[in-house]
Amino acid sequence: MKNIYRPIEGILEEIITETSNIKTFVIRSKEDFSFRAGQFIELSIPGIGEAPFTPSSDPNVKEKIDVTVMKAGRVTSLLHSAQKNISLGIRGPYGKGYPLEKFFGKDVLIIGGGVGLAPLRSLLFSLFAQIDKYNKVVLRYGARSPADIVYKQAIPEWAKLNKVDIMTTVDVGSPDWQGNVGLITTVLNDLPVDVKNAVAIVCGPPIMMKFVNLKLLDLGFDPKDIYLSMEKNMSCGLGKCGHCRLGKYYTCKDGPVFTYAQLQGINDIWD
Amino acid sequence: MYSIYFIESSKLNQLAQDLTKTHRVFAPVEKRANFTCEADFSYKKFSLSSTLDFNPYRAVEPLKSFFTYPHEKVADYFSAEKNVVDIPQETVVFGVKSCDIAGHKIQDFVFLEGVEVDALYRAKREHTLIISGDCIDFKQVCHCLAWEILPYPTWGFDLNLSPLNEGFVAEVGSRKGEELIAQHKSLFVPIRDAQIAGRRAKRESLVDRLKRHLLPQNLVTKDSVQKLVQQGYNAKTWKEFMLTCVECGGCNFICDTCHCFLLEEKKQNQPGLPAGGQNAKLRLWDACLYANYARVAGGANPNKLRAQRLRFRFTKKFDFFVSNLGIPACCGCGRCIEVCPGKIDIREVLKSLAEETKEKT
Repeated sequence: MKNIYRPIEGILEEIITETSNIKTFVIRSKEDFSFRAGQFIELSIPGIGEAPFTPSSDPNVKEKIDVTVMKAGRVTSLLHSAQKNISLGIRGPYGKGYPLEKFFGKDVLIIGGGVGLAPLRSLLFSLFAQIDKYNKVVLRYGARSPADIVYKQAIPEWAKLNKVDIMTTVDVGSPDWQGNVGLITTVLNDLPVDVKNAVAIVCGPPIMMKFVNLKLLDLGFDPKDIYLSMEKNMSCGLGKCGHCRLGKYYTCKDGPVFTYAQLQGINDIWD
Repeated sequence: MYSIYFIESSKLNQLAQDLTKTHRVFAPVEKRANFTCEADFSYKKFSLSSTLDFNPYRAVEPLKSFFTYPHEKVADYFSAEKNVVDIPQETVVFGVKSCDIAGHKIQDFVFLEGVEVDALYRAKREHTLIISGDCIDFKQVCHCLAWEILPYPTWGFDLNLSPLNEGFVAEVGSRKGEELIAQHKSLFVPIRDAQIAGRRAKRESLVDRLKRHLLPQNLVTKDSVQKLVQQGYNAKTWKEFMLTCVECGGCNFICDTCHCFLLEEKKQNQPGLPAGGQNAKLRLWDACLYANYARVAGGANPNKLRAQRLRFRFTKKFDFFVSNLGIPACCGCGRCIEVCPGKIDIREVLKSLAEETKEKT
């Protein structure tokens, strides 16, 4: 019988520096591995530590997975100092992922903050692959400064795609920054979406998601149409270890993406 | 319907000894600090020369400690053998009580159901015989009846023993139990109606005694507890009771229903451990009363305060499990009450919440 705690081996093939504290790790799995956008994996440095990450690569590309990681704690710091060609452990994928079929025929509004664009990139690839199924894709992305923007080369390329509308904002600009300056909520007015036929997908730091969620409710979004990525300590990924409990849910198995409607009535969701 | 027999005490002892030839056998042994206090029963490995004690109430150790361990290896890194779980040794556990079985329903729910089955747990479950027994007495902290759990098992065992005269009424509760009887047929004799009646009378008498013990305590009931912890979310109770918490995690570790664990890493050739071996994944029991239980990378922690952690424990037991399984995750064994150096009493916390929410409404 299958041992659910057994990691499979992946080789760290490439390390891409995105910003001063964010890197993308390209991993080739030695065994079959696939995931859906929004699902996460438990990535480990064998014998050292393990942490949950949502892959940022195209789910349709099976050979490699990208994981974009911000240096935040012990495991992420060690990953940042890792060299190419080492073995990493992969468990998963876990969680439910985005219900793409529910987005068919709708305006898909995607709002990302900081490294929160990582899981959203995997979602974007999934949407782009079947772009005719959606009405349009609108991305609003906020970073602290122009230097903190991830996927700097890719974003302008995505913006050229048909039915895709992208706007980036930074909290603090720089002399050569031509885009918007201001918090993410400042670029959520006059959105080119029909809120009655749209879904909003939000991923970023809890404080950003809290205010974006309030803004979306103000704009008239139905709580059932707002998808939020919840951040909790997820150790097993399987709804067994208990750490990521959020009210009557486990973030790992019932999420990590929840609609706001699911979370209404649960206390202190942003803590 | 499974069969029911009678077994003499000496024959039961022989059964336990016979089982040691094929199984690891564990049975509770009396430990008494002095004669002024209640006796405790603690699990020991039973050997050919041991004599079986019949524990009148539950042992110190929770039943879960036979199925998950405080510290165990759950996987090797990149081992050649794929996805295989070792077959554990055949094990027999004597002295299991009704509260243990009720609590173990939570463990089964966590590890055998949900998105994936925990194969390690299932293997241990499949290779373990549970030989339970009626309670014939209770500890001061026992309060199973408050959660509508009877002090004698009616399900969830392979064989249940009810003391009567010079032996035991032995009720089979599973196919594994039937097989056990079949292999040791000569030790058991057919049951007589009078013995069934005798068992009933003893059971009823203990339930009566326990009711008289619990009634003056005015405990919170099974039906009201979920609403109570929901309404008491912002209660002062959490803070007041946590003033004496020393964050030892004892209440979590000793609890029959607490199942939380943390996956950790074992490094090859780690100092202090035997040389060699591969990097491995370890599973350690974890405690929601620990400060870093819910902490995430970067330091954010939804349960920074001890009061938040006590509330987390109670909402898990009395809200989460009622929503997800239909029963509260407390079996009234009282182990957490006995173990707590801060004298935090689960019954009193709930009663205080009830008082506080009553004042408000």
